[in-house]
Amino acid sequence: MNPFALLAAALLAYVRPDPAPGLLMSKERSRQLECAVVTTQAAVERRPGQLAPEGSRGDMADRGAVLCSERLLRAGLRAPRDEAILSTLELRVSELAATAVSVRPDLSDRTWRVEPFHPSAQVSAKIAFATKNALMAHGAAVSDRLVTLAAGDVDVITRMAPDLAYPAACARYAANGSLGEGDALLAVVLRDPLETALHAGVCADGRWSWLR
Amino acid sequence: MRGGERLARGRSTLRPGPFVDQNLRRRWKSQVTLPPHTNTGAPIPTRLPRSPAAALVLSGLALGSGCVTVYQPLSGLQQPVVVDPTAPNLSDVRMAVYCVPGPALSRWETNKLCQRVSTLFEHQGALVTTVEGPAADGEDDALTDDERPVMEAPIALRMELRSRDLYTNNASLSWAISLMTATVLPAVEESAFAVDVVIRDGSGFLLASESLQGRLITRYGVGTWAANRAADTYWRREDQRLFGDISSHDLSEDLYRQLSQLAYNARVQRQVLEARAPAEARP
Repeated sequence: MNPFALLAAALLAYVRPDPAPGLLMSKERSRQLECAVVTTQAAVERRPGQLAPEGSRGDMADRGAVLCSERLLRAGLRAPRDEAILSTLELRVSELAATAVSVRPDLSDRTWRVEPFHPSAQVSAKIAFATKNALMAHGAAVSDRLVTLAAGDVDVITRMAPDLAYPAACARYAANGSLGEGDALLAVVLRDPLETALHAGVCADGRWSWLR
Repeated sequence: MRGGERLARGRSTLRPGPFVDQNLRRRWKSQVTLPPHTNTGAPIPTRLPRSPAAALVLSGLALGSGCVTVYQPLSGLQQPVVVDPTAPNLSDVRMAVYCVPGPALSRWETNKLCQRVSTLFEHQGALVTTVEGPAADGEDDALTDDERPVMEAPIALRMELRSRDLYTNNASLSWAISLMTATVLPAVEESAFAVDVVIRDGSGFLLASESLQGRLITRYGVGTWAANRAADTYWRREDQRLFGDISSHDLSEDLYRQLSQLAYNARVQRQVLEARAPAEARP
């Protein structure tokens, strides 16, 4: 390689966009990025045209790449718990749906309903939508119909401990006909206000079981 | 050598402190060649040289020993957390922390990491024992005989920490260019690492796992030193500054916050599994 070209390439390295904090990148902006260190070959495949591929005899210098994607919303716009859940929602609900379908093969011919238990109505709606999509992706039949409880049931159940409340609600769903014999309910639950993980439980025929 | 090092209930007000500070210094010592005048220990002349050019070169080389290390969270480390790492989130939870030495973490560093993480969870009210080595399948079988009588109840959470080097670049070309430009252009070294965290219950059931990845970049030279010093002094906000032990502090804070959140999530997950009766779990 021409030594001047090599020198120019090395000098260009100083002005290349680096996602690390520095003179041109604040720490705040750097933390908005989700990055991964990959090999040159992987970077060329994932972002064609942005990186010169390795030469047939390899590179003179040791090269790697840091591929980054920016978050949709800047930090602080959503509550930390909601941000933690929603930023990886697709992966989380996909795991929950896979668990539900594989652990309960006896419910494969039923229509799934999804009920999120999260304090925020907006986040609940996102969780429900994503979970239904994930169930459908796993080949399950899904209904948009909601399961309902009478006002008196809600009044009693919301004062119970979680370990008792979910089985009680499940029994009431079956008793009031909201969840029929051909249905199964996948409940996506945030059990503790300080956690950032989602749990799942299944209600079928008035019986409740925690999946994870 | 296996065996716990400490077992104490956390009521202390001591802060765990950054675990990466020594780690960084060791890397600097082992991989970086400092400019010659610092290596030989020759004193910087007190009498100013007469030639302005010589003075410029000399002061440049003197300042060239300055470096700025920055930390960038890559994946997982910058996730928002809800728990307060200083609050009693794990009151009376019996916990074992297994720190596994490997190519990325020496035995000494593993020991240090384990001590700091142990202190972190003790502050949160947990009863912690630390073990150097991987978690075994059997319940509390990694504990020494001295520890067994103290552990009245079975261990609730077993946290295993492993570290991997993802990428290390000691760019000799950048050193050459930096020296050719009297360190106005910086020499850049960078490394990326991953801390793999796995939390199981006492019987070995997986409760939570995460791979926390970050990157450390050290830039050497008068140019980067002066520019960043000026930026820190004149226009960067206090929480955006880069000089000093900021990178160690930021990385430690991120790591502690994520470990605290993971442990809390695992604790709730364990409660859910306990509530799941075998008869209910199956049709």
